[in-house]
Amino acid sequence: MATVPWEGPIPDLLRERLGALVLETCTYLEQPFAVLTLSAMVPALTVLRDELGFDYLVDITAVDYPKRTPRFELGYVAYSYGRNERVRLKAGVGLGESPQSAVPLFLGANWLEREVLDMFGIEFAGHPDPRRILMPEEWSGYPLRKDYGILAMDNGWVQANLGIESGQ
Amino acid sequence: MTGRDGTGLDGNEMVLNMGPQHPSTHGVLRIVLKLDGERVKSTDCIIGYLHRGVEKIAENRTYTQFAPYVDRMDYLAAVSNGLGYCLAVEKLLNAVATPRAQAVRVILTELNRIASHLLWLGTHALDIGAITPLFYTLREREAVLKIFENYCGARLTTHAFRIGGLQYELYEGFEQEVEAFCGQFLPKVDEYEELLSGNRIWRERLRGVGIIDAETCKRYGVTGPVLRAAGVGWDLRKAQPYSGYEQYEFAVPVRTGGDTLDRYFVRLDEMRESVRIIRQAVANIPAGPIMAKVPKVIKPAVGEAYVSIEAPKGELGYFIVSDGSTQPYRLRVRPPSFVNLQALDHMAKGALVADVVAIIGTIDIVLGEVDR
Amino acid sequence: MKRFLRRFLLLDLLEGLWVTFRHQSPSQIATEQYPSERPAVSERYRGAPRLNVHPETQETLCISCNLCAVACPENLIVVGSVRNPETKRKDLVHFTYDLSRCMFCGLCEDACPVDALELTQDFELASYTREGLIWDRQALEEGPRPTQYRQ
Repeated sequence: MATVPWEGPIPDLLRERLGALVLETCTYLEQPFAVLTLSAMVPALTVLRDELGFDYLVDITAVDYPKRTPRFELGYVAYSYGRNERVRLKAGVGLGESPQSAVPLFLGANWLEREVLDMFGIEFAGHPDPRRILMPEEWSGYPLRKDYGILAMDNGWVQANLGIESGQ
Repeated sequence: MTGRDGTGLDGNEMVLNMGPQHPSTHGVLRIVLKLDGERVKSTDCIIGYLHRGVEKIAENRTYTQFAPYVDRMDYLAAVSNGLGYCLAVEKLLNAVATPRAQAVRVILTELNRIASHLLWLGTHALDIGAITPLFYTLREREAVLKIFENYCGARLTTHAFRIGGLQYELYEGFEQEVEAFCGQFLPKVDEYEELLSGNRIWRERLRGVGIIDAETCKRYGVTGPVLRAAGVGWDLRKAQPYSGYEQYEFAVPVRTGGDTLDRYFVRLDEMRESVRIIRQAVANIPAGPIMAKVPKVIKPAVGEAYVSIEAPKGELGYFIVSDGSTQPYRLRVRPPSFVNLQALDHMAKGALVADVVAIIGTIDIVLGEVDR
Repeated sequence: MKRFLRRFLLLDLLEGLWVTFRHQSPSQIATEQYPSERPAVSERYRGAPRLNVHPETQETLCISCNLCAVACPENLIVVGSVRNPETKRKDLVHFTYDLSRCMFCGLCEDACPVDALELTQDFELASYTREGLIWDRQALEEGPRPTQYRQ
């Protein structure tokens, strides 16, 4: 990825507040993003919201890289109505690690974090309602992980609940 | 909080299960309502009945092959979905569609916005109890769908755009047909107003129902007409123009009440503004090629990008991670309906059961997009 | 006072009713009488697939290049061919198109280099069985035959 260093007041302030926890600040295709250590994610979102006016959390998602450690990459997209700017924050999450929930900062994070839990099995510490959201509650397996094949399904659940041998 | 009988309910509380087969939840949405008499104490949305794993499918299709699937998320605004997806892949490819393609894209997406809002208006009125508007809105929507059919051969799941531009050249008489639609459509909007805006039953049912203020909208991440009805004049077409929207003159309708009635007015005004954009665009469609120079086999460089557009329901975003192969490594859709639906709990708290129907209708969700 | 009169005389409701009555006139009818009147679909309509044959020789236009099968997102096209030792070309043996999974995206007809595969204006595709939706080469060349209930 041919990235360009990201300069300006936002990365400067992030570095000032969080120091070495900010690993990288770059832009790719004119889209700025910062790579943080996981523990700095919620503090960074707090800085963005309270000091820089990023009052809209657009999205939370994750990407699975089975060969990397830590395995997952958690991504946040934040937008500021006042500045008309959008930034992305990224942090690595290992299997079994639980990042801090962003729900106290942004109510909208609630379902987005539930979806990450549902699809990747990343549990958020302090989430008010840690349930699956799209898949059935008793489903086993996390569909968007790379080791979950496109035809894979929880046959036990399908047989017990739908009364058919297999969904295929 | 455990009740006397150990059910988690106290004596005055009643649990009502609304959906998933309920005509006014606009799809397979199930809401568990906790009621105190007629008043809603809390709502719990249970979604996922229409989950098809679109993001997983994307990882197993090439970039070109995945394009028809995005139409099936928000199936009432398939053209907008396609535009967002094409823009995101074009961003990764560092390509820009040709001016002609951009103008046609704008015309079709704005027509789609009108179609989406028309269906919303008809079904919303039907939910409230006014049956007649549905017939009229569907008739006008039919004209839009006919234009889609003539242009790309399909009415709903259009697959109208390709990465880099368009697949189909405009057909003979496209401009006249669109212009004719605009001309006969504007008086129809006034007719809807005649039917509904002054109607006292309509006003009484909507005024002050499901209020959400700007601050709460921002905390929930709510976008689209719901945000604009709460007094924030934010529209991605203005804030971060894409596909040549900066060339067109249009206003962003804003209301300040944040209630269901204001959202109704915002959407009506948006249809009028869309007609304005379409008229400007159709009057001068630039000549030239419809396809930019993109490779035949689409293989974006390793990298990632988040691109979003203003869909009829709010901010529709695509986050694509490319590993340099012909298939996306990860594709994430940021669906406006999904995020907006979260605010239902806030809006419905303290409302009457009958108003829940009005509030669901006014958020304008499409379950295909909520569940993906 | 004006407002009171409006409310008292139900003017706001009558206004809406007047719109409804305006639409009673026969010129406003938009209903199509399908199936007695068949709707005219557009020229570009993406409906039933057809495998075109040469109008004079009745030979298939398909050159068995397999591009449609590769382009299809649902992998529902199977092209079978054998190499002809005389002409050094591939001859089409069978062609299966599984309509039950088709989403009519048109990518196959875009991919076809010789305009052999085409999505036509036929839209009556219903079948009583799932197998009936899997079209072989003959069905693709002849097109759909919807059941006619009226003599």
